[in-house]
Amino acid sequence: MSTSNIGPKGPVTKTGEVVIDHVDHRTGAKTGIGWFLNRNIPGETSWFQTLGFAAMAVFGLQAVTGIVLAMYYKPEPTQAYASIQDITNHVTWGWLVRGMHKWGASAMIILVFLHMARVFIFGSYKYPRELTWVTGAILLIMVMFMGLTGYLLVWDQRAYWATVVAMNITASAPVIGPYIADVLRAGPTFNAHTLSRFYAIHMLVIPGGMATFIGLHLFLVSKLGISEPPWSKRATRARRAEEAAARAAARDRRPQGRREVSVDPAPQTLNVEAGQ
Amino acid sequence: MNRQDQEAYKADYAQAKKEGKPFFPYAIYKDHVVAVIVFAAIIGMSIWQRVGVGPPVYSASSTFEPRPEWYFFFLFQMLKIFKNQNAFLPVIMATFIVPNILMVLLLATPFIDRRAERRISKRPFALSVGILVFMGMAWLTYQGETGAAPVGGGNALTFTGITPGSAAAAGQAVFMDNGCTSCHMVKGVGGQVGPNLTTVGTKTFSATYSGKLPVPVPGVKGPTYTGTGWYVLHTQCPICAKPGSGMPAFASLTPTEYANLATFLNGLGTTYK
Repeated sequence: MSTSNIGPKGPVTKTGEVVIDHVDHRTGAKTGIGWFLNRNIPGETSWFQTLGFAAMAVFGLQAVTGIVLAMYYKPEPTQAYASIQDITNHVTWGWLVRGMHKWGASAMIILVFLHMARVFIFGSYKYPRELTWVTGAILLIMVMFMGLTGYLLVWDQRAYWATVVAMNITASAPVIGPYIADVLRAGPTFNAHTLSRFYAIHMLVIPGGMATFIGLHLFLVSKLGISEPPWSKRATRARRAEEAAARAAARDRRPQGRREVSVDPAPQTLNVEAGQ
Repeated sequence: MNRQDQEAYKADYAQAKKEGKPFFPYAIYKDHVVAVIVFAAIIGMSIWQRVGVGPPVYSASSTFEPRPEWYFFFLFQMLKIFKNQNAFLPVIMATFIVPNILMVLLLATPFIDRRAERRISKRPFALSVGILVFMGMAWLTYQGETGAAPVGGGNALTFTGITPGSAAAAGQAVFMDNGCTSCHMVKGVGGQVGPNLTTVGTKTFSATYSGKLPVPVPGVKGPTYTGTGWYVLHTQCPICAKPGSGMPAFASLTPTEYANLATFLNGLGTTYK
């Protein structure tokens, strides 16, 4: 308790407490935020375990820069190219916002792949975090689709042809491929509606899906906790203690004076013995 | 992971949490340090490497450049590997089968690897698969970055059997002007995205297509397309002539241009060498 808590509370503090209590009583917000912030994490975490947050922060950056770009961009085949040039050359800081959106996309791809590599190497996808991995993998796929749909919007030669090829590849998939390609292209060939359709998918459909899955992913991460690096000091200590206990137990089970039969006192071996 | 291992993990993790420290401020602080570094890098790159705009779509200089962003290079490069259209390595392997297998494996990873062991040093199989996938994707991306860039032009190419002013000569001009060499190699000039067309005329193609041609060409009629007719159909609607083709449709040429292009292609490697 700090000394500032001494004496009667001022009217502002009182009003604030009343409002907070009112909201918390009906929503449990205080409890929820407390649960999120004050929960314990393992004492030893790696710097590599910050990559997920970094990816989420870049998602936020892409959302903000994307909103600014959407204020100036015109998803019309006749105007798109000119509006991109306008953003790049005339709008104040436009070049920077567009540059950040473009480099942010590359950073996002790198971060999600590094994050996945971290989870894979730490074995963090194992029980009980299997579904956290699945939601993350879905997010990875959505990130790739963001890159694909965003690429066309620049509406220059390279963007156009790369997307034409991508759509042809989609159409080549068996059975449903042609239908998916038709839905994406708004018709059997590239046409005036293709650009606005990609625009809608890029800024409404996939971001909505991503926000949902980031929420799920985050909830699971908070609920199940940040995994402990398998080689952390505590884990190593616990493992050694367990092995020592297992050795001691095996020694105790042996009849007096008999030599040890198994040279490998691994717990698995003991479990089998215990089961018999 | 059996029930016992699961309970053991839960107990161990509960212990780790008990001996741990609060999420706020410890994890939050580290997260924000890294996020600030990432943001600084993004802003730095945007200033250092100003983003530009390429030539507009449908510009007169048809520099057909089917190169995606770098993060799709691995898929793009795979397309080049499977371009040899034989029965065992069809294009559909690169466009559909391999990517989908990878996607399913990605989603199913935690259900495939269910062992309790988490230390990477005790998971040699997982480690080798991880390294293999990483190296594979890095190599494909690198190849896509540095590998044969789409080549335009190539007007210097000369063929025996093509006389100036003939239909084949006009067809060659159509072939070169529309950037076909960006993807197709002819006599050592061109890209490797599509099949090599140097001796394509020695093959016989046939397709049945009951729909209408997007651009009608005199003398070319369905529903069976063979010889030059097949090339006309394939140029206008690649998947109509060859299911699974990844080639974009070129549907904005004139009927004469289609006819000339077909004459040129149908004779490649036979009449025109």
